[in-house]
Amino acid sequence: MGLVDQAEFHFFHFFPYTDLPADHRERASLWVDFSNANYDPTVGHDLYNRYLSEMLLADKLGYDGLVLNEHHNTQYSMNPAPNLTAAALIPQTSGWISVFGTPPNLGYPNRLAEEYAMLDVMSGGRLRVAFPLGTGMEYWANAVNPATARARFRESIDIILHCWTDDGPRSYEGDFYTYRYLNPWPRPLQQPHPECYIVGTGSPETIELAAELGFGYSVVFIPRTVQLQVFDRYRERLAHHGHEPTPEKVAIGVMAYVAESDARAEEEFLPHVMYFFENALRTTPRYLNPPGYVTVPEFRKRIQAADVHGSANWDDLVAINRIVAGTPEKVADAIGGWIEEAGSNRLTLNLTLGDMPHWKVVKNTTLFAEEVIPRLRARKEAAA
Amino acid sequence: MTATPVTPAGPGSRVLFDQLDYDVNGTPTTVLAAGNPDAPRIVFLHGAGTFHGWAFAERWTERYRVLIPHHPGYGDSGDLDGLRDIHDLVLHYIELFDQLGLTADVNLVGFSLGGLIAARFAIEQKHRLRRLVLVAPAGLRVPGLAVDDLFRIPPEELPGRLVHRMDTLLPYLPSDPGDVDFTVDRYREIRTTAIMLWEQPYDRVLPRWLGRVDIPTLVVWGAEDRLLPVDLADSWAALLPRSTVARFPDAGHLVLDESADASAAVARFCDGGG
Repeated sequence: MGLVDQAEFHFFHFFPYTDLPADHRERASLWVDFSNANYDPTVGHDLYNRYLSEMLLADKLGYDGLVLNEHHNTQYSMNPAPNLTAAALIPQTSGWISVFGTPPNLGYPNRLAEEYAMLDVMSGGRLRVAFPLGTGMEYWANAVNPATARARFRESIDIILHCWTDDGPRSYEGDFYTYRYLNPWPRPLQQPHPECYIVGTGSPETIELAAELGFGYSVVFIPRTVQLQVFDRYRERLAHHGHEPTPEKVAIGVMAYVAESDARAEEEFLPHVMYFFENALRTTPRYLNPPGYVTVPEFRKRIQAADVHGSANWDDLVAINRIVAGTPEKVADAIGGWIEEAGSNRLTLNLTLGDMPHWKVVKNTTLFAEEVIPRLRARKEAAA
Repeated sequence: MTATPVTPAGPGSRVLFDQLDYDVNGTPTTVLAAGNPDAPRIVFLHGAGTFHGWAFAERWTERYRVLIPHHPGYGDSGDLDGLRDIHDLVLHYIELFDQLGLTADVNLVGFSLGGLIAARFAIEQKHRLRRLVLVAPAGLRVPGLAVDDLFRIPPEELPGRLVHRMDTLLPYLPSDPGDVDFTVDRYREIRTTAIMLWEQPYDRVLPRWLGRVDIPTLVVWGAEDRLLPVDLADSWAALLPRSTVARFPDAGHLVLDESADASAAVARFCDGGG
């Protein structure tokens, strides 16, 4: 029995705005204070249409689902309200829709519980969600205090779970939110509620929260080898809290590009990976760590760690992350190995990244579906 | 309470402060103390950073018992569990003043964030105070007067915004700008400030209630303040019934550190009759 035979492949799209001014490299940050005067809605309209078509292609090609995320004040993402995008995708798709996701503490949690329940009911129970704390940058963009964000985050998730699992009305008295009649309509179709993940960067607090709630766990922006230690710790805590550490509890992210040869794949993929790390992610330590966003000991750790936001070279990136470019065989080999080492059968795939042109997205997404996924499945059968 | 005689007022200073440690309703609280214990008292409430020393208070110790508490979440004091806003610090100081026996005749001096705390304290506790000095106090919103939000100022620009002459600050800055301990200490202090002021950097109570503070009040400002403009001085004075304004040339936001005249004026004001 391998993990590969139950592996799910989810197509992730960041919806980047890539029509940047020529002098954008002079800017220390393309987040938070990068002026929205640089956003051309006409270009944006074309990009939305293109990106939606790429997601629909992935659904038609048989990917298990589509994944969306949320960011604010940035060219990195045109999805500050991913539930709107999810709603647009639902009537045109048949796979899972994963909103990975809206920081629940940036608004009113009953409202997010309502929106997710709407999406779940509308889609016939195809919704999955993740609760991210949100990057530090989101707290410069929104009127929420970064210094109390974690406590508010916890309380928000608690409220959403009450919304989904309690028969209303009930009252809720929290440190941040008081509800006199918590009784949201609709309630989710999936029972007791859609599958949930916590997205983190491996901090002990988020691992513990995910384990305690029995949620899945996914990490971003930390090296692959560190992720493996984090997953071990998470599974240990999950078991401690009485939840079974099944493979779908851990979701891993993969950046992959498939082409006729390894050299061709690397040549076609590399510029967009570099664009993603050097430009799309480029921001300042100050925006990454607003006051109080992390605890004081965690801040001490962070300022002594390497900065992944805005500088990169290919060899380091490949050594640190799950990035592969090559023939279907090479890509399948790498991904099969990552599935086994992480003990995960949930993959979120970045097959489009940064300023990748449409033809490459179509080529890569199609080759991956037709040449890589079947190879992985066949490998399982051979092993069985 | 325990006392350790360690902390010099500043580099090369001859004045040593005793470090007194209190438990204020569960918050470990450090108070620096110098001067004759029987002399009249000056309590100084510091700003949002504790790194620039207390050399300006040296002259005060000649005639006063000078007490400098570190706010919860700053300097050597512990964090205040459940801190939400400035009023939590007012309550903290009511309790600390009780423990210190500061029930009357206190001269209260507050600088910047400490000025805001002192003003809020005075509104509720003026019976404990003899005189109030507000040094470039934070927190007053004046329509039409643009003030940069502290959190919007990049940390690398902050030293230049604090002083008129950089040599005032140099002895207190680490030689390596990336100094980890210094950076972490400043992060802790800006974190505490953010807990209280991120959502609303202005204090809605001040305009309505400062009129209660009918004790003699001195408003001190550096003419070259690049953090909180000197024009704010008149707005504070207009709300304080018994106030006078003293502006000092060639001094920035850290006016007490940059102007010996300013520091002397504070002592002289405290010397004055009720």
